[in-house]
Amino acid sequence: MSKREMPEPEPLNLVPIMNLVTILIPVLLMAIKSLELAVIDTSLPAISPSVSTPPDNIPDKPPLSLKMAVTNQGIRILGANEYLYPGQVKTDDADEEKGKPDVPCKSNTRCKGVDDYNWSDLSQKLGQIKKAAQDDDRDSDSVVLISDNNIKYEILVKVMDTSRRSADGTKLFPSVSIAGGTNQ
Amino acid sequence: MGKAKRRVPEADELNITSMMDMMTIILVFLLKSFSATEVTVTPSSNLKLPMSVADKQPSVALNVVVAKDAIIVDNKRILNLESYDDPSYPGQKMYRIPEAERPGGGFDVPSLGVAFQDVVSQFDKIGALAKKAGRDDIGGFDGKILFQIDKDIPFTVVRDVMYNAGQAKFSNFEFVVIKTGE
Repeated sequence: MSKREMPEPEPLNLVPIMNLVTILIPVLLMAIKSLELAVIDTSLPAISPSVSTPPDNIPDKPPLSLKMAVTNQGIRILGANEYLYPGQVKTDDADEEKGKPDVPCKSNTRCKGVDDYNWSDLSQKLGQIKKAAQDDDRDSDSVVLISDNNIKYEILVKVMDTSRRSADGTKLFPSVSIAGGTNQ
Repeated sequence: MGKAKRRVPEADELNITSMMDMMTIILVFLLKSFSATEVTVTPSSNLKLPMSVADKQPSVALNVVVAKDAIIVDNKRILNLESYDDPSYPGQKMYRIPEAERPGGGFDVPSLGVAFQDVVSQFDKIGALAKKAGRDDIGGFDGKILFQIDKDIPFTVVRDVMYNAGQAKFSNFEFVVIKTGE
């Protein structure tokens, strides 16, 4: 029998695949996102008709109604004086007369920018309020943000960030509403 | 003199296997990091988004852009903002809605109100058409807005835009921010 010669296998032609890949890489490089976006969920303060609670379900203590006023001098925390200053008689009205914020700016005068606000102090105070409110059965997730007219949006975003969770990741007041200010 | 005939060596075929290896790795890497985001931000010197640790993904909604120079609703330039010097931030510009845009003097900005109402009526039209076609699952008004606001815009402008959106029955507001790794 005659011995037949097996044809040598031809090398795989990779050129069409190379063409495809070379086109795909620039397309993907252009479409790749250089920065990642996220959103902050917020709402207008809800105005709802009062719902009559059945007598059995009336809570002994009303839930915490926390508000934060962002001013040029710093941040005032309203509605939680009994937790912030335990044992002291301090009302929000008296504070307003003095105009002294609970979290003053680092420069102790008018805040010059977003970095002049004392964010670590605010975070620590909110953590203190959260813990005390939980112990007191008055825990709430909501906070209402009240702002001076000329406060920059960047500062508001930072306040919302700080009020949502503390530096160590503990949940503080994640449900932020923005209240309308005064019209000047 | 007789010339010696030299033999030209046959050119070797280009070996592209190693290049293919590299390309395949790059392709896989790019495909992995590629994700089609539903929110498009047009980069501009007048629109610098603030940084935040928020991690919620943006979803499709009405886009409202408040840049340093203008307010844009659904890709339409609605009004121009004016800049002025504010003593609170010496050396920095502040921005406001021109007084001429609010004839009533309050929070009402009629041009913004009309723009929001237009969007609501478009939503209603789509909803009605979808209902006619027996598709209740599409269209309809969900009251959601994605705000892209420049970080230097003061609260007054943010408040006025939110107020006028609220008047047009928008109630669910999401602020687009740049995610930081903190």
